[in-house]
Amino acid sequence: MTATISTTSVTPTRRRRRSARLSPLLVAFVLVPFAVESVWVFWPAIQGFWFSLTRWDGMTPPTFVGADNYVELAGDATFRGALVNTVIWLVLFGGLSVLGGFGMALVLQKERRWVGFYRAALFTPVVFSLVVTALVWRVFYQPDGIADTLLRAVGLEQLIRPWLADPQTALYAVILPALWRQIGYVMVLFLAGLKAIDPALHEAARMDGANAWQRLRHVTIPQLKGVNAVVLSVIVIDSLRSFDIVWSLTKGGPYHSSELLSTYMYSTAFQSLRLGYASAIAVVIFVLALAVILGYLVRAFREEAS
Amino acid sequence: MSDFDPGRRRFLGHLGLAGLGALGASSFLSACASSASGPTTSNGSGAVTIQSNLSSPQAKAAMEKLIETFNAQGKGTASLNTIASETFRTQLPTYLTSANPPDLYTWYAGSVANDYASKNLLLDVSEVWKSLDDYPQSLRTLSTDASGKQIFVPMNNYWWGFFYRKSNFAKWGVQEPKTWTEFLALCETLKSKGIPPIGIGLGDTPWVASAWFDYLNIRINGAPFHRELLAGKQRFDDPKVKAVFTRWREALPYFDPKGKAYPFQEATTALLAGKTGMFLIGTFFADAAPKDALGDLDFFRFPIIDPAVPLAEEAPTDGFFASAKTANPTGTKALLSYLAGVEAQEAYVKASSGIVLPANPRAKASDSPLVVKGKAMLNEAKELTQFFNRDSSDALQPTADTALTKFIDKPDQIDAILREWQAGAEKVFKG
Repeated sequence: MTATISTTSVTPTRRRRRSARLSPLLVAFVLVPFAVESVWVFWPAIQGFWFSLTRWDGMTPPTFVGADNYVELAGDATFRGALVNTVIWLVLFGGLSVLGGFGMALVLQKERRWVGFYRAALFTPVVFSLVVTALVWRVFYQPDGIADTLLRAVGLEQLIRPWLADPQTALYAVILPALWRQIGYVMVLFLAGLKAIDPALHEAARMDGANAWQRLRHVTIPQLKGVNAVVLSVIVIDSLRSFDIVWSLTKGGPYHSSELLSTYMYSTAFQSLRLGYASAIAVVIFVLALAVILGYLVRAFREEAS
Repeated sequence: MSDFDPGRRRFLGHLGLAGLGALGASSFLSACASSASGPTTSNGSGAVTIQSNLSSPQAKAAMEKLIETFNAQGKGTASLNTIASETFRTQLPTYLTSANPPDLYTWYAGSVANDYASKNLLLDVSEVWKSLDDYPQSLRTLSTDASGKQIFVPMNNYWWGFFYRKSNFAKWGVQEPKTWTEFLALCETLKSKGIPPIGIGLGDTPWVASAWFDYLNIRINGAPFHRELLAGKQRFDDPKVKAVFTRWREALPYFDPKGKAYPFQEATTALLAGKTGMFLIGTFFADAAPKDALGDLDFFRFPIIDPAVPLAEEAPTDGFFASAKTANPTGTKALLSYLAGVEAQEAYVKASSGIVLPANPRAKASDSPLVVKGKAMLNEAKELTQFFNRDSSDALQPTADTALTKFIDKPDQIDAILREWQAGAEKVFKG
């Protein structure tokens, strides 16, 4: 930034000439997507902020109520429960899919016999629609279904419970299929990152006598910094927008025990028809996503600067 | 309410159809938008469009046939858009408030329709009702809004009851109970034989529990109190409401524990397989039953608890209302008159597979013993209620789902549950 400013101040004429030569094609490439985004993304997003300050049933015109919706959010036990569940979801779903995906990528990065098959097998769940995934897992969890049969086979029948209908287990029973899918996706991201590491670095480390753990800790992980930012953003965004799998398996129930912010927002908007209040929840989700990702980016930039 | 589920069940199979329906609707809307400015629709001669949520194959085919017959009669033209029911439910407010809405809609009678009427979104169809003077007063009242005009035309209704297999009751040597005491005794007998007496399906279809609440409330506190409660004029933490749950608790030990995890379709399978004794459900459950089991099915009315309370039954009524903004009110009313007629209603009952009773008193229902018994039960009732969501709103239904599933799990916490329910309901009423 500072560099550009100094060049412009030193050689204003040359700069002007350069900008005059800006290709119209390039301008079109920037402006057309920007116009489309404005209509389909930015404008509805700004409208969302406005609706969060109103009471609106979707039929009669919205009435402005100021911060009422946010005041109500602060005292809403269901919202608090959904927030806690979303944090649990972020930690378990996010954490385990990073660990699992990274582990799988390490195991499957070397070209061996059958490795392509294993990679494809792990990636397959990503290809399925989450609604289809939910149907399959519902069969797995149903009373006397596969899960119960497996537990009986190993003599653990005292553990059997209505997995999706028990408030103690519902949330975790939904995280599992979500992880099943996400690990394959994260694995592919990490595989791409691992492939990009220069093998010479590993060779040099090996020559210096570094063992496998030291090479992982001091060569592989630092080299993956770029991928980490992508994975983190993907994980945070995927956690906060996780909706389809929860909605198709439990709808946030029984009695809100597997409610996430996203499902609570949906049911508030489209079942209770309280679109103003739902917009306020959407704003909270947006702020959370922004805070986590900005926090990471700021730290990453600071590290780069120092 | 029942229509939620056939739609969900067949949702995947009908995704394609629903997509086509949506395309059809939007192309219609744009067609209407362009033609509304032209002279053709201003004189009201355009085709009347019906937006239908009857997406199960038989019901859809039945509707298509009705519209075909209407078009052949030459009194006007109509076209049918069939939409997946869940999509229909969430989109209905949007249809009604759009600038050029479709003309006619399939929907439910009662407070859901009155709610739209109070926002001036529905067409006054009193003119159609002038020719329906032989309809029972109960249906006329049900179709009348707060300002006294008719806004709804009923097509058919159905009933709820405890369904069971005759062969199983004979095998277990038990009889239909009449009173609550007899009912509990029956449960005890079945339990002692190792059969979970009461089937239920709350996984994915938690609203089925509302039938228990509705029935206990109309048996203990009566239908007028029930309606007031659902309209927000009474409180859910009232001692009278708590009395409902005290009764319910007596029956809780007899519920099938697996019912929490099943949807009602699986609970139907369990009932038919003899894995549960009986099941409080609406007649639509038979859609999921194999044809050979239908002849073995029978039902009894929800047992009487207090004989002093006037007898009421749940009889959800389906039918049509029209948009106030229709470009062709004459054509829309002509179509409504046709749909309310004997010929159309008999044709619909015959073609659709469901166990339904036509709204027109002169139209013949199916003559199966089950339908005859159901019709007699409804005729005996002093009052008819619709169902929880139809007597209140779809917005209030989730508060009931939360409260009732929690009660079934944790009956000790009833006071806290009712307080939460009241708080949740107040938010819904406030908007």
